[in-house]
Amino acid sequence: MKSNIQVLLCKCCTEMPKVINIERLAKLASESGNVLSVMILDGLCDGKELGDVVTEAKMKEIDRAVVLACQKKDVSPAVFKAYKRAGVNPYLVEIINLREEVVLPNASDKDRAQAKAENKLLAALARSRLLQPLERSSEEMKTRNVVIVGGGVAGQAAAREAAKYGVHTIILEKSAKSIIAPGVVMPHATLVGGKGYGGSFELKIKVGESFESLGAASVVIASGGGWTTLKGSLAKAVRGAMPLYEFHQKLLANQIPAGTVVFMDSPDPAGKTLRVQDYAWEETLETALELKKRRPDTAVYVIFQEMRATGLSELAYKEAAEIGVAFIRYDKGATPKVDPKDPAVLTVKDLSYGEVLKIRLGTMVFASIPASQDNLVIAEALRIPMSLDGGIRRGSIQRGPLSTPKPGVFVCGSALFPKSREVAAAEGQAAGKLAGEFAAQGVIEFGGIVAQVTPEKCSACLTCIRTCPYEAPCIGNATKAEIRVQACQGCGMCVGICPSKAIELHHYTDEQLMTESKTLLGGDF
Amino acid sequence: MIVAKRKALNEIAEMLAPYKKVTVIGCRSCVAICLAGGEKEVKMLVSALKVKNKKEGRKQQIEGTVVERQCEKEWVQEIEDQILDSDVTLSMACSLGAQTIGDMYPKHLTFPGLNTGMFGVPEEQGVWSEKCVGCGNCIIHTTGGICPIARCAKSMLNGPCGGSANRKCEVNLEVECAWAAIYDRLKIQNRLDLIESVIQAKDWSASHSGGRRVFVREDAKLTPHQKKGKGVQ
Amino acid sequence: MPQTKPKVIGFCCERHGMDAVVLAARSGKQLDASVRLLQVPCTGRVDGLHILKALEDGADAVFVLGCLEKNCYYDTGSIEGRKRVGYVKQMLAELGIEKERVEMFNAASSNSWIFPEIVAKMVDVARKLGPIGGEKR
Repeated sequence: MKSNIQVLLCKCCTEMPKVINIERLAKLASESGNVLSVMILDGLCDGKELGDVVTEAKMKEIDRAVVLACQKKDVSPAVFKAYKRAGVNPYLVEIINLREEVVLPNASDKDRAQAKAENKLLAALARSRLLQPLERSSEEMKTRNVVIVGGGVAGQAAAREAAKYGVHTIILEKSAKSIIAPGVVMPHATLVGGKGYGGSFELKIKVGESFESLGAASVVIASGGGWTTLKGSLAKAVRGAMPLYEFHQKLLANQIPAGTVVFMDSPDPAGKTLRVQDYAWEETLETALELKKRRPDTAVYVIFQEMRATGLSELAYKEAAEIGVAFIRYDKGATPKVDPKDPAVLTVKDLSYGEVLKIRLGTMVFASIPASQDNLVIAEALRIPMSLDGGIRRGSIQRGPLSTPKPGVFVCGSALFPKSREVAAAEGQAAGKLAGEFAAQGVIEFGGIVAQVTPEKCSACLTCIRTCPYEAPCIGNATKAEIRVQACQGCGMCVGICPSKAIELHHYTDEQLMTESKTLLGGDF
Repeated sequence: MIVAKRKALNEIAEMLAPYKKVTVIGCRSCVAICLAGGEKEVKMLVSALKVKNKKEGRKQQIEGTVVERQCEKEWVQEIEDQILDSDVTLSMACSLGAQTIGDMYPKHLTFPGLNTGMFGVPEEQGVWSEKCVGCGNCIIHTTGGICPIARCAKSMLNGPCGGSANRKCEVNLEVECAWAAIYDRLKIQNRLDLIESVIQAKDWSASHSGGRRVFVREDAKLTPHQKKGKGVQ
Repeated sequence: MPQTKPKVIGFCCERHGMDAVVLAARSGKQLDASVRLLQVPCTGRVDGLHILKALEDGADAVFVLGCLEKNCYYDTGSIEGRKRVGYVKQMLAELGIEKERVEMFNAASSNSWIFPEIVAKMVDVARKLGPIGGEKR
């Protein structure tokens, strides 16, 4: 395959020449095989010199380039545009970060820095000669549906926001409660299975007793928290435990039994990870206030490690304290506990006064909610991982705070981790925006740096299928592995693990990597 | 499938030390799947041995290749030149592959790079457990689909031994008592009556204890008329 | 102690790995020039074979630098990277070669101090243990 390389050496304004002898570097480049053009530029990121680059590239019929400059992110948009005008495939343009790998950190050792820069140039050229042009493709999404699992606060917010993008929203709500939201609301509907990839999901849902298929461009998981479950050692040990949600309902219906009421922040105060929920505070304070107003003679305590009454709910805190709700703060050194012999008595050390209080209970209300059991079903259905405390796991933060490891699937609200209604609604809105925007694009782009199987070498061992987080590999028609490029993220995990070396990653093949490595080790400095 | 494990590298290095030209042959079948002798393991082994030789200043030529299935002569014959060109061949297939090469080229030295272990299933990625010992007379239809010969340390045929406690095997406390598993399985199949029926003493002649076994399909054998030339049959 | 010129190869992931390299450079830290870097899209791409080949081709020490495991851009890539490095360490140990020559590291994009630490550690290992073949450089 022909290889006409152009080498660009960027002075990074004046930084590079302070450490590197650019002329020597340029001479080495021009004397290397396949190099037809060498240009020294003052500042690539400036963009002014790119016109000359394009002219030279066209004249010398350049098909690939090695650019010694700084970080790819800083130069690449302008450089790639320029090379496009010159007819060079973008995957044949390699940007080498000489500035941050050599010039800056090795400035105090000029001799070695020079040799190292020359070595990096030779390694980049060796790699460039082995690169192949690559193309990206696009595919129309099969539907514009945004499927939202859960019709609570977060789910409804998601639907309202997503609808603004002109997509069709479908809320799957497991109960029969009435919901006002745009698009379609399906009651008694749960998500039980799903195949496909972002842009073209095929979901399997259970509606009542029957199963249906549903296509989706993107999915928002807004299934909420485990409102009615009580988990945790203190919740189990104490007599008269009740989740806040249930208590609130009973209070409004005047069904609370007599006796002291304690609002506890965590059902497991001595546990390793204290989950202090934002959620707890607004609703706890409102409920405590309501309770004290209705029953001024009942002793009401709020026991906590960290008060997180956000924003205006601090006013509720103030009002509650003024009408006689007792606020007791504890710390990890002496967590509240009940005596197994008398589980209606709570012992707690008040950090502010140093006193140890023994409170005889009527009811202990737990304001924090554990993760919902529904998460297990949803995670299983979409094959996305769960977090350690039972929520849906978030993807890398760089992909966004509401992403999941599966592109096209977003999570918000208490399904991610328990939180207050207001925060859940805000997250729902954000997730709706992301999902709506995604679906509104109507097309997915894929390809370029993706994996590819050589079927003759494949042992059909299923290792790639088990390893890939994105379900890109699958067993194809010939009972050999195949990569679905639409789902492939180009990480190369399957490539590195394949026991029969049947998979290669374009742009990072074994040959390309090992040639670069060998050339780098050839330099003597 | 057949599950094997690579020998410790120092053992392999020692085996190969006296020879100047080594060829390593892997296999794309069972041993690739159990991550012991596929192309990747072969390449890694070759590289590791070269690093070792670098350290000890040993001059040795090592190269590696892979065949589709090393226990079949036709596949092995494809790389005959590479085998015969070397001083020693290290087989990274199961012992069947190593012996096939040995049988085909009896004057040539062929060493095993793997310890061939068992018939196993992948319990999860990276974990293979033994489920069958090839006794030659399968009775799992009477034990709910679970083999007591392979999974019981004592190969008991009619219920657990006296040492079974809390569903665990007394020989290895990390192993579930096979008969506890069999009981549960027969229970959910509503076939607990099978627990009561006695399995007669096993005829072990069908197993390896009866000597090397040969299975024949007369209808598949090639008649003299069908065999071509003097080539590999 | 003979004055050797250590050769260290580092496989850095394109995401947090390279970000940590860049941040260290931009914070003005001066580093030993012995480390030669290669970019991979994710440390999950790194095959044990690449590490062994680097040792074969003259590296005294090899490291793999990826995202923090809980925040890998590709979800489980740096976990895979760690397993690959672990397997090579085991192979080296079986052959009586110092397994300290090969190491796995993780970094976040915001750590400016971690790459200098890695360079210092691996160059130190390479200097102390010397070239595998014992040659003088």
